[in-house]
Amino acid sequence: MSITRKLTLPATILAVAFLIAACTATTLQPAPEAATDTGWQYHAIVDVDFVGQHVKVPMAADVMIIDARPKRAKYDKGHIPMAVSMPTSQFDKLAGLLPANKDTLLIFYCGGLKCKLSHKSAYKAEALGYTNIKVFAKGFPAWMKKQGNYAAVSADWVKKQIDRNADMVIVDARPKRKKYDKGHIPTAISIPDSQFNKHVARLPADKNKPLVFYCGGLKCKLSHKSARKALALGYTNVKVFAKGYPAWKKVAGIAAQTPASKQIKAGAEEGSIDIAYFKKIMATNPKSIYLIDVRDKDEVATGTLKTAVNIPVDDLEDKIKSLPGDKPIVFICGTGARSGESFYMVQDIRPGLKNVYYLDAELTVRKDGSFSVKKPL
Amino acid sequence: MLGKTMLGLFTLALAVVFVDAAMAIERGNNRKGKYVYRKVYKACFERGAVASKTPPVSPDTKTQAEWTTLFDNRDFGQFGCPEEWEKLSDKDISDIYTYLHDHASDSPTPAKCK
Repeated sequence: MSITRKLTLPATILAVAFLIAACTATTLQPAPEAATDTGWQYHAIVDVDFVGQHVKVPMAADVMIIDARPKRAKYDKGHIPMAVSMPTSQFDKLAGLLPANKDTLLIFYCGGLKCKLSHKSAYKAEALGYTNIKVFAKGFPAWMKKQGNYAAVSADWVKKQIDRNADMVIVDARPKRKKYDKGHIPTAISIPDSQFNKHVARLPADKNKPLVFYCGGLKCKLSHKSARKALALGYTNVKVFAKGYPAWKKVAGIAAQTPASKQIKAGAEEGSIDIAYFKKIMATNPKSIYLIDVRDKDEVATGTLKTAVNIPVDDLEDKIKSLPGDKPIVFICGTGARSGESFYMVQDIRPGLKNVYYLDAELTVRKDGSFSVKKPL
Repeated sequence: MLGKTMLGLFTLALAVVFVDAAMAIERGNNRKGKYVYRKVYKACFERGAVASKTPPVSPDTKTQAEWTTLFDNRDFGQFGCPEEWEKLSDKDISDIYTYLHDHASDSPTPAKCK
């Protein structure tokens, strides 16, 4: 018992001294564990320049850039052009997307240095026998930081923006007569890349407005060339829908161009839409027409139709050239006066734009978007 | 003699009616008239002849009868912008007339040019 007591004091002093030493060592020098907690990192890391060298249109057959982030939340909104979406969580399910040639250069990336997804996928690919794997560890944030780079977006994202009438400009960079006129993405304007400088004034004055360029798919360079031209002009929010019109047709289910003239029932006055037909279309398929409310902003603030976009008649002339031609346009206002004026303005300024109508009626719109229509006096 | 006089008077009356009918302005397209009317002053403004793109004479500044008289007489001086008015076709003028007439001060829907 006494021996135990005699040993207790020195043991306590030693223990305290050991603890102090240990704590000091921890403070002065990072714990070995923390410094080497990089076991999850893949061993072959590349930088943004390396990736940039391999982004080609079309992509080389022996290179694949793979986005390991979640598709809907990240990839759809913006990814490295030409990258394939293969979220790590679905790697096994999507492994069939990987090339048959196991010597293909695979470059995985995700959301930056703290993101483990690209490293995990790289290891999975290695386990499948791929021999030339790299990880772009700084990932998408570093891609976007580099001057002159831009993001690509998916067809799903483009459709979502159109469906919610997002404030952006979609530019079809393909030849107008041969391609655009035969079918294009709704709301897209035509600025063929070969005539970019000639039509540059049709781009928005606001350099921060999102611009989305597209052309004929992954082998088409036109949208990429136009995007670079827009960046050089100072546009800050430039995107490319690289899979372009072929992908759009798949996601939209139909070609954008519709036989609209066969769908609209004309009213008694030249250019007018039949009132009963207008009511029916608003009840059953309002998105089948491009509805433009030409009243002033203060009037629209008190209520407008849910699918309508507001272009006050005084601002219309400048925007006529960019009106979409893929579905019927119907102008509305309170009495038919300004909508009628709008109709004739289009006839005068852009006579080639067919399927344009106006509602020749007294229209009352309530705050909740419900409305009533009366025949004109 | 009386018969000849009566025939002469009848012929004269008929001629007056026909001449009057020929002079009377025809109705055109109200909606198109609004656009053409505003376009006149836009062009006039762009060549620097007026200070505003807004037409100086609103439909509700006259009655329907006054508009009819003005257009029957082709008395367009008060509109200003003679260069632009001279270029208008008869159809354009009919359209403008219809717009102004249909929104005159005594019409069901008097209108001002904004």
